[in-house]
Amino acid sequence: MSPRGVTAYSLVNATVRALYSNLLSSTTWRALVQAEDYDAVLTLLGKTVYASYLQLERPLLSPRRAVYQLRWHLADVYEKLIRVTPDPGKQLLIDLWDHYEVDNLKATLRGIEAGASLDQVRHLLYPMRRAIVLTTPVIEQMVRAGDIDRAIGVLRGTLYYPTLMHALTRYHTEKSLFPLEVALDLDYRRRLWQSIDRLKGLDHEQALRTLGVPLDADNLLWAIRYRVYHRLSAEEIINYTLPLGYQVQDVHIRAIANGEDIAAVVHQVYPNLAAPENLGDAEGGGLAQLERALQQHIVDTCRSVFLGNPFHIGVPLAYVWLNEYEIRNLTVIIEAKASQVSPDVFAALFEGLQMSSESS
Amino acid sequence: MFRSQTMRKVDLIVPEGDVVAVTEALAASNVFHLARSRGYAASAGIGSRTPWQDYTTAFFELEQRVLAVMQALGADEGHAPQEGVHLLVPSVARRDIERLEREAEEPSRDLEMARQKLAKLEKYLEQIQLIADLDVRVEMLRQAQFLFVLPGTIPLANIDRLRVSLEHVPIVLTTLSRDEHVATVILFGVRRDADVLTRAARSAYLNPIVAPEVYTGTPADVIKALEASIARTRAQIATAETTLQQLYDMRVRHLRHLLWRIRASHSLVEAIGGYEHLRFTYIISGWTPASEAASLRRKVLEVSSQAIIEVEEPGRLDPVSPPVVLNNPFALRSFEGLVTNYGYPSYTELDPTPLLALTFPLIFGLMFGDVGHGLLLMLAGLLLASRRLRPLQSLSSIGGILIGCGATSMGFGFLYGSLFGFEDVLKPLWLQPLEEITSILLAAVAVGIGVLTLGMLYHILNAALARAWGNMLCDHSGISGMVFYWSLLGLVAGAFMPDFPISPVVLAILAILSGLVVTFSEVFIHLIHRRRPLIAGGVGTYLMQAFFELFETVISFLSNTLSYVRMGAFAVAHGALSLVVFIIAEIISPGKGIGYWLDVVLGNLFVIGFEGMIVAIQTLRLEYYEFFSKFFAGGGERYSPFSLFSKEDGL
Repeated sequence: MSPRGVTAYSLVNATVRALYSNLLSSTTWRALVQAEDYDAVLTLLGKTVYASYLQLERPLLSPRRAVYQLRWHLADVYEKLIRVTPDPGKQLLIDLWDHYEVDNLKATLRGIEAGASLDQVRHLLYPMRRAIVLTTPVIEQMVRAGDIDRAIGVLRGTLYYPTLMHALTRYHTEKSLFPLEVALDLDYRRRLWQSIDRLKGLDHEQALRTLGVPLDADNLLWAIRYRVYHRLSAEEIINYTLPLGYQVQDVHIRAIANGEDIAAVVHQVYPNLAAPENLGDAEGGGLAQLERALQQHIVDTCRSVFLGNPFHIGVPLAYVWLNEYEIRNLTVIIEAKASQVSPDVFAALFEGLQMSSESS
Repeated sequence: MFRSQTMRKVDLIVPEGDVVAVTEALAASNVFHLARSRGYAASAGIGSRTPWQDYTTAFFELEQRVLAVMQALGADEGHAPQEGVHLLVPSVARRDIERLEREAEEPSRDLEMARQKLAKLEKYLEQIQLIADLDVRVEMLRQAQFLFVLPGTIPLANIDRLRVSLEHVPIVLTTLSRDEHVATVILFGVRRDADVLTRAARSAYLNPIVAPEVYTGTPADVIKALEASIARTRAQIATAETTLQQLYDMRVRHLRHLLWRIRASHSLVEAIGGYEHLRFTYIISGWTPASEAASLRRKVLEVSSQAIIEVEEPGRLDPVSPPVVLNNPFALRSFEGLVTNYGYPSYTELDPTPLLALTFPLIFGLMFGDVGHGLLLMLAGLLLASRRLRPLQSLSSIGGILIGCGATSMGFGFLYGSLFGFEDVLKPLWLQPLEEITSILLAAVAVGIGVLTLGMLYHILNAALARAWGNMLCDHSGISGMVFYWSLLGLVAGAFMPDFPISPVVLAILAILSGLVVTFSEVFIHLIHRRRPLIAGGVGTYLMQAFFELFETVISFLSNTLSYVRMGAFAVAHGALSLVVFIIAEIISPGKGIGYWLDVVLGNLFVIGFEGMIVAIQTLRLEYYEFFSKFFAGGGERYSPFSLFSKEDGL
């Protein structure tokens, strides 16, 4: 515990502690899963930290709108933590927040491709308090541009422009957004790894642990999906994944690309993960099980960051991931309840998944 | 103090013809906070579209076009004008911009095309120079039967990945040149591997360069032809640049002026687009500090004699809460930052800053009691607050906090008899934490109980002010919760003190009754406020939830109270750490020479810096987690007056 770390992260730590205590308790999760219907879910959420985001007239609070409102909480959390975190950790938090902007950019491009209206596109986006590039007018101008070429032209001078412009050649050849989206994803994740590498000492170690695990999960799942679902060749799988990782190394990705047994590779990376065996079968549901196991691994890693020395960038990073997963799980519950799906069907998704450690 | 600066709700009914002038006056007044929906409605475009929203888009487009002209001329934006700016008519601005675009279009298009052409020619030249000595005609290479040749551009980050993806295939990948993002490469392989090579190149985003077939002959012939083309293209670029520079000299001031007028107009129409529009009038809603209401009325009437202005106190049931201006005396303002970092108090809520300003230094001082250390902290606080040291001016806001914490540290220093760690210079007025550990721990818990009770009282008062009688009576931080908490404390105290004045039976009855109210608070609150249904969802779910909530309440009472033990523990640790400094000093210099005193000075500085920081964090943690969670919701909005040059980037 260095004096520098304590000085830099004192306010961050206190702020995260206060936020952490507001994560939903297991009691609330149980009640949410067992809630009779969507209205009961809203009532329960009305007693949580999300209450102020859901203070809208009931007819306006459709399930989609409720999810959108919950996401404002995450936007506020990022805003708060970015404000109190000192550099260079602050930059990493900003870079991490950018992944919502990348998602919004992809959603906007999909909307344009599908000929959606501005309002339809807006409903698909994450709310952003801190939009670096995709401000409301930029999105509006992109949608009004009417086609992908001109929409990308609107982004001239931004960090997305060179990547998208270069990938545009393939978009024209293949008439698919796939190359644009993959290029954006790879470029974003490379930037995030660079941002992690700019940190030093304990900050670097903790950022690597906290962000390395979810980045690994993405890379691994991409490689498996490209092979199992898209049936891409080894060279394509390698080019569409990253050689950067924390536990998942390039050798593992190349092994998957070159046709080795996927379950064996996963076991080699995560010996203690409850991963299924049928990962090579597109219809077997093994990949969904693996995704859940990886999510639990990410949540466990984030929770473990709160043990021990708390004065480093890992603490706010771990908290935003926990909050992200909390909102993802709430989204599942809201959609399930709104569609009147029985808890028996989706409760399994939440078994053993505990977001908070139930203590301060 | 305690309450936000008093705000007034301002509703203006403005004739259609005056809406622009009134909006300009509101922006110029710099005291009008526009009431807006919370992002979603605006961003989702709910409601009918008005011409003003089209103007908003138009001005955004115009701004982009002006910026594009400025970029073409290499002009910067300059600064926002200080004097008032009035609304532009989009069609007039558009004509102006079109003229500017026309002027800049031809030379900038020529320049752009010439640059693109030059880049391509240079790339071809680079490629061909690699095989300059070959005595083979290039058209034969294009049609090679056994060789796979693919020149192209590829993102820099993908080059290594492409090599890895082709590790089992014989290839040569040569980089010809590279810029910030992209490299020009040639991929050589064997024609029989063409499928694999093509797939790998495509997935690595290698965009092929197709050299124009007009260039024929040996590489030497092609180089000669390319060099001639490059020279001609450079001359074209120079001509275009000169034309653009002349245009820059003539138009830069006008462009900057136009840009800022467009930006101001954009803010203006964006604001108007958010107003409610009736047939011939607009309704503008917002807030202003009560002290500014009269002058705001005067300024609006100066530009619109027909405007109707209603200024009223905010209603309790208004769906939108007024923005908040914290209203604390100068001495307490340092603590505002700690409060707003947690959340902005809502308008009806009591501002917890005064309470924080009282409890924060108290808790800090209890943990860090030393006259000398407190004095140094206070001096450091005075230095920061005075803003005399330029490099530390940004820290001036924490000066007040250091002064407060330093003063209480000194106070507790006298109570503990501690001066720079020396425990034998001052006579303790109360106790020495290291000597009476149990007493200091019990005292810490007592202070914690006091602070928690204060939090509950604050919650009760907040609920009373908001006339939320049900919450005031039944919440776990309301009256029932407080009775429940104190009954449990009484039962615990009675178990250890045979002479406790209140009978355990009475306490048990109080605990059961208040516990039941807390458990079924939702039902009681709905009953008091006449809300139906009493229970949302099923009875079974509710009972299970109520039981767990009671369980959580008891656990949180216990953990919140015991959390304050750490105050005593830190007071002990502070004494122990100081003791360690002296033990080390004795080892270094038993005769109390210079080494002894050097160690004492450095040790004290370490204690102040390192332990002081940890104590501050613990204090903040106790305030945020144990204290604020009892009464402070923090869902308020900061008062932010409408201005023409403010930028909002939220969706």
